[in-house]
Amino acid sequence: MKRRVGGLETEFGLVCVRADGTRAMEPEAAARELFRPVVAMGRSSNVFLRNAARLYLDVGSHPEYATAECDDWWDLVAQDRAGERIFADLTAQANQRLAADGQDARIHLLKNNVDSQGNAFGSHENYLVDRRGEFTRLPRYLLPFLVTRQIITGAGGVVRSDDSAQFVFSRRSDHMWEAVSSATTRTRPIINTRDEPHGDPTRFRRLHVIVGDSTMSEVSTYLRFATTDLVLRAIESGRALPELTLHDDIAAIRSVSRDLTGRAPIPTAGGATTTAVEVQQRWLDLAAGTADETEQGVLETWQRAIDAVRTGDRSWAATHLDWAIKERLFTQVTERRGVDLSDPAIERLDLAYHDIDPGQSIFRNLQRRDLAPSTVAEERIEAARETAPTTTRAHLRGQVVTAAQQHGVDHVVDWTTLRLTRPGAMPVQVLDPFATSLPAVDALLEEIRSLGESSPPPVPPA
Amino acid sequence: MSQQSLNAPGGGPDEGAEESAATTGGQTFASAQGADDLLDEIDAVLESNAETFVRSFVQKGGQ
Repeated sequence: MKRRVGGLETEFGLVCVRADGTRAMEPEAAARELFRPVVAMGRSSNVFLRNAARLYLDVGSHPEYATAECDDWWDLVAQDRAGERIFADLTAQANQRLAADGQDARIHLLKNNVDSQGNAFGSHENYLVDRRGEFTRLPRYLLPFLVTRQIITGAGGVVRSDDSAQFVFSRRSDHMWEAVSSATTRTRPIINTRDEPHGDPTRFRRLHVIVGDSTMSEVSTYLRFATTDLVLRAIESGRALPELTLHDDIAAIRSVSRDLTGRAPIPTAGGATTTAVEVQQRWLDLAAGTADETEQGVLETWQRAIDAVRTGDRSWAATHLDWAIKERLFTQVTERRGVDLSDPAIERLDLAYHDIDPGQSIFRNLQRRDLAPSTVAEERIEAARETAPTTTRAHLRGQVVTAAQQHGVDHVVDWTTLRLTRPGAMPVQVLDPFATSLPAVDALLEEIRSLGESSPPPVPPA
Repeated sequence: MSQQSLNAPGGGPDEGAEESAATTGGQTFASAQGADDLLDEIDAVLESNAETFVRSFVQKGGQ
């Protein structure tokens, strides 16, 4: 596919503590408090917003934000960042209510992937792929890329064992148990095969990649999508592909995570060995053949990221990629405090890096000092809170939700369906994720306007 | 949509150099004095009940 729709689902960690750090509220109660304005407006803790994103409460009281369909990866990063701000505002409001109520309780939302006991939660990437493209053939080529992609786009972190601790590219690697399956929680796979195309099932299929870390750096998030899209396109192009099938994907993903040189041998299915750097370089070289002129920047940045691992020269990566930003930060802090990586202070620092409160987040602090990238313009992020991407179906959903909210008209929407909640209302189906105009949606918008109440519309949470 | 620079240190071209200069007091400040300030601020976070906070963060698994 030359144009591909993608989306990013982020599950946030949630903790509510007293000033002394002890737990003030259970996650369930804290999530209820957080979602109070959402439920007040949408009568549900599962709503679609004016920017066409979905905001909801997932299994385990994890607040979740799913971006609208994007076909431009900077749009996607902007939409993802907008979601962080929406949840940061909901958190600030909840904390104001708790404080006004005299409670010693403060909610923190963490855009990370694991709690202090090792319970994991995800950052799920969705890519639209062609139904005809032999889905069964895809994983064979995609898996070696996904297993090694963490050396570019991992969030970094520390893995602790009984008496040691070491820095790794991705802690999520230790929570992967299968290469490909339909499970999501029990035996979490790298690629999930649940067939939910959210579109015309005869034409499309969804590729659901659940191996990724939640990334704070916009460059890291961008590279996750831009490089995976290029690899998918190379696979779809029908050209000869590198046969890099690994002997054991799960053993490999864990060893790659721990090998900061990127050059340790990984056994292949064919009995030879490869390395993480080699796999990434092979795919980059192949993608260069299918990338167009607007994608040269992706190739250059991907190359810089590979080189940072291959050469050990982190000077660029340490201000651009999450894992390298964290590697430098943790080194500075352990040296300053005279502790090692197993110290609880480092785990606290890791959580603070991923805190989405702009006042608490160490990542935002680094950004303000130009020690982490601010690539997407401030105005673009703010605009993405209110406006859906205009080049996909999200544009239609965003228009309907915006009009319905402005006119106070009850409605229910999901990824493919738009409907007013009144007797006899007919749902409008949009099965083409690339559709940006549809007569049935124009008619629906007209109906919403004509039903518009004179009373002031409710104040939305975003 | 517009292609944005991935390679500019920190802020891209749309971000505006003025803003980063205003918040960091310029590049030199950001690299030397700024780093010390940052570590001071981090110390403040880490010294307020770091271990208790970490232990409080337990949540049933998600996906």
